[in-house]
Amino acid sequence: MAAETARKFEALEAQAQKIMQVFIKSGHEAVSPAIIQPAGVFLDVIGESLRARTYVFTDPDGDELCLRPDLTVPTCRLHLERHEEAAAKARYCYNGPTFRFQPVGASIAHPREFRQAGIESIGFPERERADAQTVATIIEALRAAGLKTFKLRIGDLGLFRALIRAIEMPDRWRQFLTHLFWRPDAFREELQRLAQPRMATLQSIPAELRDAIEPADLAHSERAVLDYMAAKGIDAIGARSVTEVAASLMWRVADAKADPLPPESVALIEQYLAISGPAKAAGACLKDLLRDRASTMGPVIDSYHRRLQFMSELGVDVVHAEFSAEFGRQLEYYTGFVFEIVSPELGLGSPVAGGGRYDDLMRAAGAKSDVPAVGAAIHTERLLGVTQGGTP
Amino acid sequence: MTTEHLVLAVPSKGRLMEQTIDMFGKAGLALRKTGNERGYRGEIVGIDNAEVAFISASEIAWYLKTGRAHMGVTGEDLVREQMSDADDRVEFLKALGFGHANVVVAVPDYWIDVRTMADLDEIAGAFRREHGRWFRVATKYVNTTRRFFAHKGVSDYRIIESLGATEGAPAAGTADLIVDITSTGATLAANGLRVLDDGVILKSEANLIASHAAVWTPAVRQAQNEIMQALGL
Repeated sequence: MAAETARKFEALEAQAQKIMQVFIKSGHEAVSPAIIQPAGVFLDVIGESLRARTYVFTDPDGDELCLRPDLTVPTCRLHLERHEEAAAKARYCYNGPTFRFQPVGASIAHPREFRQAGIESIGFPERERADAQTVATIIEALRAAGLKTFKLRIGDLGLFRALIRAIEMPDRWRQFLTHLFWRPDAFREELQRLAQPRMATLQSIPAELRDAIEPADLAHSERAVLDYMAAKGIDAIGARSVTEVAASLMWRVADAKADPLPPESVALIEQYLAISGPAKAAGACLKDLLRDRASTMGPVIDSYHRRLQFMSELGVDVVHAEFSAEFGRQLEYYTGFVFEIVSPELGLGSPVAGGGRYDDLMRAAGAKSDVPAVGAAIHTERLLGVTQGGTP
Repeated sequence: MTTEHLVLAVPSKGRLMEQTIDMFGKAGLALRKTGNERGYRGEIVGIDNAEVAFISASEIAWYLKTGRAHMGVTGEDLVREQMSDADDRVEFLKALGFGHANVVVAVPDYWIDVRTMADLDEIAGAFRREHGRWFRVATKYVNTTRRFFAHKGVSDYRIIESLGATEGAPAAGTADLIVDITSTGATLAANGLRVLDDGVILKSEANLIASHAAVWTPAVRQAQNEIMQALGL
């Protein structure tokens, strides 16, 4: 909630100063991106689920704007405005309000207006080190603000991506499984579906077209689509091209003819997703499970251990950190390492801080190529609630 | 409007108004405008503790949600769009058999590879890679669309709010598909669109609806009983 009393406002300000001091001392430049942002960038990046919670409005010129639902995207935009070369290295920190709709009856730990204090590191190619520094800085800031007991939870979407790449399957299945990773139920269903013969999926394609589609011949398939459209009097409208429609149909025909995913591959994915526990033990588990695929999985597993090593060197208590392969499934724009700081008072559903790696986001926000980036933010009202021993 | 009067909200224009007045008339309840013919106040002849508010069909849902009207006649689609928890806030007393319209998901007929919501989800990734954005759904049923897409597990899209001629949006290039009402499907077909096989979100018609938020004093309750009796409910 917004600071409702002068006293609470002052307490939040005092806390923010302690946090920002830590951020600035560790080499982050303090910035204040605009609160009102063009809606388009956000909505194209974050998907409809966060849009449903974003306050969107139209200004008198008819432009669609929003109250920022987080500070990561505004900071990326600020970076792009300042640097022609998006990969320029920079570390930013901020403290300011963010806004998210909450349904009637939402808990007090989920206010619609809250202050985020956070950091973003953009352009640092040594990813594991930047990840570890982000965690260490956030923990130092939490400590400076008076947080004593907490748990570090980590996950790594890079491991999942590498695992999917390491398993033999058509490329499109990989893309679709990655796309579904965010929705565990749909993911499980699709995994089972891929393990079955897929001829049934062809029935939705009109028979005369089905036989004319050549899985390996785009030009031929495009002609087949055009012929079908001419015969049925269908016009091409909208942004999708005939090539896209033909390619999609080709994939379907190819899918139907492909061998199903072998049971041992399905089992491997399921076993991976079931890994959770102390971070170091989980690392050993990963090595065991993926021993047969060491050639492809080796680098990402090494990177997992290197990150733990860096964190440990920076004073993070990795012995008590907890890894979960499923963790990160709710946070759509993250691409690699993810983490959360949980307090015993507020529990799993309301972390006091969280963040991760988002290597795709800069491109989505307008950069010409992918830029390595990692960041994290503290939910300052929750933190104050915990350190003051009351409700947030 | 005093709390001692039952407020009945009815559509203020068009076929929906005519059919509503006709329906009440057949039940022996004559709705009559009081004062100016262009005014928005009226009465039910013979029921003293009731007044009629002639307002637009979409505003009726808001009147029922906030309790400004005790009862109202409007489309189920409009009520469900404005209330995420419609079944808690209002009671659907009777489907009236007119004002039929289905709220549907329609894609360009040209999307031969997309027959179901699952197909739509499947092309989302490729669409984004190709066009650098999620596909856009034009609709005035923003909340209904979100609920239905979430229910179907489709999350990678963007809603473009549309206030009229939604069916023209894909051809005009302002959106890629639409969620809109249709009665015969002819308008959709004329615009090169096709309803998905599992794309019927709601089969809507005009309903007589009671508000849980309104203040139901004994006098108001009495008026409601008289109306319900006349309607045979």
